Amino acid sequence: MSYAFTIFSPIDTPLFTHEFGTSRSGGDGIARFTTSERALNPFILHSSLDIVEEVQWGLSTSAGSAPMYLKHIDKYQNCYISCWITGANVRFVLLTRPRDEALGLNAGAQRGSLAGGRAGLGAGGQVYNPTSPATEEAVKNFFVDVYEVWLKTIMNPFFHVGSGDVVKSPVFRTRVAAAAKKYL
Amino acid sequence: MSGTPSQGSGLRYPSNKKTIYDRNLNRSKNAELSRAAFAYLFIEMISYAQRRVRDVNDLEKRLNNQGYPLGLRLLDLLLSRSSNPLASIRPTRILPLLQFIAQTLWRHLFGRPADALERSESDPGQYMLYDNEPLVNQYISLPREMSQLNCAAYVAGIIEGVCDGAGFATEGVTAHSVGDQDGAKMWPGKTVFLIKFKPDVLEREEILGRGGG
Repeated sequence: MSYAFTIFSPIDTPLFTHEFGTSRSGGDGIARFTTSERALNPFILHSSLDIVEEVQWGLSTSAGSAPMYLKHIDKYQNCYISCWITGANVRFVLLTRPRDEALGLNAGAQRGSLAGGRAGLGAGGQVYNPTSPATEEAVKNFFVDVYEVWLKTIMNPFFHVGSGDVVKSPVFRTRVAAAAKKYL
Repeated sequence: MSGTPSQGSGLRYPSNKKTIYDRNLNRSKNAELSRAAFAYLFIEMISYAQRRVRDVNDLEKRLNNQGYPLGLRLLDLLLSRSSNPLASIRPTRILPLLQFIAQTLWRHLFGRPADALERSESDPGQYMLYDNEPLVNQYISLPREMSQLNCAAYVAGIIEGVCDGAGFATEGVTAHSVGDQDGAKMWPGKTVFLIKFKPDVLEREEILGRGGG
């Protein structure tokens, strides 16, 4: 599986992006997006922000609070989007692109056409399911770790989220990569 | 932005080799600041804000601006501290947000909760938060020509930062002295923080309320 992770400021400016592959089941942690997919990812991520705005208030409980983890919120073609929203409305958006086999697409099928895929879905047991508890838990753990590093970033008095300051610290990137390797 | 910057690309570590990422977020428990040190720094902040300032409003605006970024940061920090990080929650309604300010934020800043929280009767979008004895004003005596000034404008800025950050835009949070009104003898320094939310926040609140949340 390949992942694209982006942090959006409250005014939808991307502050940090990171691409990585799964380290589970023998994965090497390298993202395998095709060139066209890679070009499309920012658009998918940005368009999912509309969905975030729809659900971020709606999850209200009677206590008037909502969880930061919004879980799986959107799907575009073969890409699944999960989101975490911080108290200050900074969005962590994770795009998951499962391998073709995990989508039930056979190797020969055209990418993007689900016609062959749907037939395969019934048969394959290893179909990727974005709402399975194991997946949601793994993504949540990843977000929790990133949130902690993010908190440390914004504690920096010279870092202004509102003015679109990009996270440049290589230490931050290393921490995100470590969280990705640990959980995804 | 997406390219990985190479390690050691002019990145300078502090002398103890500890970046901000190696520090613990919860370490400050039981580590209170000395009040004298705070008072000294705060006086410096006021005199800094007072430079080339036109009038009292302008000065309060500057103090407000100094507090605003602090509110933005404290919002996330306190939210992450107040609960188990695995169950992180954020306020989505006005009341929990104000309670967060009056309880969690106040306890963090001043070691005690705020004294009262009221909703204005004349304007439904306006809330009042009372502090009988603001810590920031403890060592401040106002000259006669500036009797309108309330240096708790700094705290008002913090509140504004918290509200704005959480997605509850305000038309401004202001601090006013009410010590000379009721109970003047008890609390001469009593201060009210007026929080006025924007109409769209109230509209959203109403929709959420109707949705049976």
